[in-house]
Amino acid sequence: MDCNRCEAEAVMHAAYSGAHLCADHFRESVDKRVRRRVRRDDLVPHDISPEDPLTWVIGLSGGKDSVVLAKILHETFAEDPRIELVGLTIHEGIEGYRDKSVDACVELADDLDIRHEVVSYAEEFGIEMDDVVEDDPENMAACAYCGVFRRDLLSRYADELEADLLLTGHNLDDEAQTALMNFLEGDVEQIAKHFDASLGPLSERDEQDEFVPRAKPLRDVPEKEVALYAHLEDLPAHITECPHASEAYRGEIQQLLYGLEENHPGTRHSIISGYEELAGVLADEYSGDDGADLRECGECGSTTTREICRKCSLLESLA
Amino acid sequence: MRVTVDVKGEATHEIDTDELPGDSTSAAGQSASSDGTSNPESTYADLLTAVDLSPHEVSVLVDGRPVPEDQPVDADHVTVLRLIKGG
Repeated sequence: MDCNRCEAEAVMHAAYSGAHLCADHFRESVDKRVRRRVRRDDLVPHDISPEDPLTWVIGLSGGKDSVVLAKILHETFAEDPRIELVGLTIHEGIEGYRDKSVDACVELADDLDIRHEVVSYAEEFGIEMDDVVEDDPENMAACAYCGVFRRDLLSRYADELEADLLLTGHNLDDEAQTALMNFLEGDVEQIAKHFDASLGPLSERDEQDEFVPRAKPLRDVPEKEVALYAHLEDLPAHITECPHASEAYRGEIQQLLYGLEENHPGTRHSIISGYEELAGVLADEYSGDDGADLRECGECGSTTTREICRKCSLLESLA
Repeated sequence: MRVTVDVKGEATHEIDTDELPGDSTSAAGQSASSDGTSNPESTYADLLTAVDLSPHEVSVLVDGRPVPEDQPVDADHVTVLRLIKGG
């Protein structure tokens, strides 16, 4: 089967668009979607200059998604003196897993010649996820602890690195799952928050002085295509799944979406398209509500809605 | 045709494509069944269905090269790589 755009052999078929593409045209198509998303989300303001460049911190886990994101952003902005890319890797303390993916991150950052910072739960919190899973004082899934700690470190270090933007490698499948989960949980306020936190164009989001704005430029690209891109580019992506991964509900939604996508190609795109529009409407509706009850955590001083932030209360129960 | 489907890190399956039901939504299925006489040609997607995997969670490689899943099976050995979750 030939590529739709040239005579080379196709390496993929996208049922949602009908396209058959060769390796070169497939890579070009992914690059274009990421750059289009950067433009649509207004991530590069018109008034920046090389004298006062922006710092973009990429959450670099070493998995395929963040590695592909870093590679494409680097290709796009390496020659642009207005934007400096920094990779931020978090070591959770998971033996046989994170050590190797940190190696992948170091290798990639070296290849791309970008600044790279590694921070660990051990140094920051005095814990390791392998032990947290053993103790499990709150009777929760591993990801529930890990997510709280990871978000805390990403925010804190994005702040310390004076980031203007924190970018993560969430792909179309991740975002369609999250959208569907928010719908099914009836969490309307969460949908509004999602717009201001990462989905909306920067120029349309409610100002949130307490947090570094986030962006997800890979979110138009299906997970399968991100993996194919990493494979074709021979990127140093780490290829082992976290041994503690246990998001049961997300897994159920993922299987549901595979079935829907198979029978109705384009379902993930339409979920996200409708969800983003709805989130924008809801963000307007809830505008002004946010931030009213934000305060400083009594323990660590981070911004929270509680007296003691979730991270500090988890650390206390782990002590 | 007998095809070896090697799901990396998991099991290896031997599939007889003549016993596959075929996929009427695939390009191959449409062309083969348009005259209404022959069984649709099996595609790589049909192989995946036979081993209970979705095309959206794997890549299919033939001789190390990715192939579009809607294409007719044209190899007696295919490698299937599962997507690794996590960014």
